Amino acid sequence: MPVGSVILAFVLGAVIVAVTGGNPFAAYSGLLCGGTGLGCQGGENPALQISTTIVYVIPLITTGVAVALPFRAGLFNIGAEGQMIAGMMACTAIGVRFSSLPAPVLLPMVLVGGMAAGALWAGVAGVLKATVGAHEVVTTIMLNYVAQWLLRYLIIGGPLQVAPGTSKSLPIGAGARLATILPADNSLIIFGLPASVYRVHTGLLLALAAAALFAFLLWRTSLGYEIRAVGQSQRAARYAGVSVARTIIVTMLIAGAFSGFAGAIQIAGVDHNLSDVYFTDTTGFDAIAVALLGLGSAVGIVLAAILFGALHAGGAVMQADAGISGSLVFVLQALILFSIAANFVGQIRRLIPGLGRPAALPPELPPAAPLMTEAADPPPEPA
Amino acid sequence: MTALGDVLHLLFTANLWQATLAAAVLLLLPALGGVISERSGVVNIAMEGMMLTGAFFGVVADLAWHNVWLATGVAILAGGLMGTIHAVVSIQFRADQIVSGIAINIFAGGLTVFLVNRIYGLQDVGHVGQSELLPYINIPVLDQIPFFGKVLFQQNVVVYAALVLLVLTHVVLFRTRLGLRIRAVGEHPQAADTAGINVFMLRYGAVITSGLLSGLAGAFLAIGVSNTFVPGMTDGRGYIALAAMIFGKWTPFGAFIACLIFGLGEAIYANNSIIHISPYLLSMLPYLITLIVLAGLVGRSTPPAADGLPYVPGSE
Repeated sequence: MPVGSVILAFVLGAVIVAVTGGNPFAAYSGLLCGGTGLGCQGGENPALQISTTIVYVIPLITTGVAVALPFRAGLFNIGAEGQMIAGMMACTAIGVRFSSLPAPVLLPMVLVGGMAAGALWAGVAGVLKATVGAHEVVTTIMLNYVAQWLLRYLIIGGPLQVAPGTSKSLPIGAGARLATILPADNSLIIFGLPASVYRVHTGLLLALAAAALFAFLLWRTSLGYEIRAVGQSQRAARYAGVSVARTIIVTMLIAGAFSGFAGAIQIAGVDHNLSDVYFTDTTGFDAIAVALLGLGSAVGIVLAAILFGALHAGGAVMQADAGISGSLVFVLQALILFSIAANFVGQIRRLIPGLGRPAALPPELPPAAPLMTEAADPPPEPA
Repeated sequence: MTALGDVLHLLFTANLWQATLAAAVLLLLPALGGVISERSGVVNIAMEGMMLTGAFFGVVADLAWHNVWLATGVAILAGGLMGTIHAVVSIQFRADQIVSGIAINIFAGGLTVFLVNRIYGLQDVGHVGQSELLPYINIPVLDQIPFFGKVLFQQNVVVYAALVLLVLTHVVLFRTRLGLRIRAVGEHPQAADTAGINVFMLRYGAVITSGLLSGLAGAFLAIGVSNTFVPGMTDGRGYIALAAMIFGKWTPFGAFIACLIFGLGEAIYANNSIIHISPYLLSMLPYLITLIVLAGLVGRSTPPAADGLPYVPGSE
């Protein structure tokens, strides 16, 4: 079903391009080249395109996990963006303040600091949900904006601003940086380009580890069992002796830590400083599509992250080669979301008789609707 | 102490309250839309995208036809179209309403930039002429009242319209049969259905209305307050409207009070050079205040009982 949703979205996207006088084939060939390095016609280096895609994929995996885990507990975390930015801010603050420390000390510090900040950000939503029943969708939206404005404050006129008139921070110390996978060496030529231009970094391994940890946590630990129990039915979980309030808070803390980790990795591996690039960042929202499309499984999340990473990397090439605005990628992403959420493909199959068995039930994700019924009243704790 | 004195002085200027009301109206229209939609049981976090779409198509129409009223109509319809998409996806197809709302917002952000590029190429969208903006109208006689004349009766036409819509929304929701039905559908759709109320039609109407209102807010923003379209120009206002709706406990006047508070903050910032607080920290305030409200420090804020639940006929 997810594959069908993606195909349907691409068909609708092609219609939109064609209706507005563009050439959908040129647009999609640009996307394909930019995302995968295949069929490039503008002299792009395929290896470089793949490297760029992977750089996009890394935070999408980690934030995708941060959305998928609360999903299992029946919680809708749309605050991965704010949590990620919190992680970026903490990572930068620590990496700048203690820039002289050696890597074995500083690198863990910035990564853990980022995770802690993300956990704090999501923890606010978790505590409010568990204690007064404030809906996490609303609180995480508000927290996203708090993080966005705090970021602006910090690097425009605030304590992390590098110099008046700029909108960026000082770079983090060398010891706080994640190594690139290829050596940063200008004399070493790989696939026709100096090795230093490939930005793909060791954060990839950390992101994959995060996905594996997510699967382990969910399916191999008692906490994972409790998370799934709460997601299935809060009432049943309570009868089974699960503390619903505690599970909600812990789930959000872990989710926030994943997002914060994504932010710290992004600064430590790619940017090395905060900048206005992240004022319009959408990674944490893309993560929602990643989690939904990946059906909440670790492998699915990685695959979905690759798709959206490739789309984002492809957008730039599509704009340069085909003259189609890279924002078509967001249109496609929205169409994929609509398509998954409404199960359009299933509905279409049902309408056409003789097209095999009737469509199965929607994906195995816990539907978000039931969680809203219990949203109004906070889960009471047995004394 | 002088800074405090200056702020107090500012609070007694008509200019400040005039700006406060205008800023509040920009939030009030989508907030009213949110109230109507959620009262009928459909969660709506898509006001941001509906407003942005309205802003874009308002500017496009105004630049093409040089008629602000026609352009405003187009903006309202564009918002309504987004509302219709949200309605079809979340009512007809029973999709998760939050996912649909997020998708609308992403869709609006992407589509407007995509279309700017298709229509205007790499150039700017262009500016709407002064005579083709939504006009400011002084109400004769009343505008001469000291202080209040300036605040209430020297405003943009949309401000008057919004105040009328505010009262209208309140009256319809709480004083008419239609309003009772909308609320019944939002609280207990099964019971409403049993009583012969058309749940689907009412929800469709409510969600599309929220789009129309947000579209009008988009027009006010792009061809009233401003005179051009800038990508992402709604800048979170749809979400602040969402916050105002919650703050106001899903009532029109409650939401209006919240909008006034948020609008006052915006106006103080725009009208003063006294307070040396980072504008970015000030911008955080509406969101922080809403979090505090949600924390229950200012009383509980409870959504309609069936808010967010797709209605399946015949279900328990």
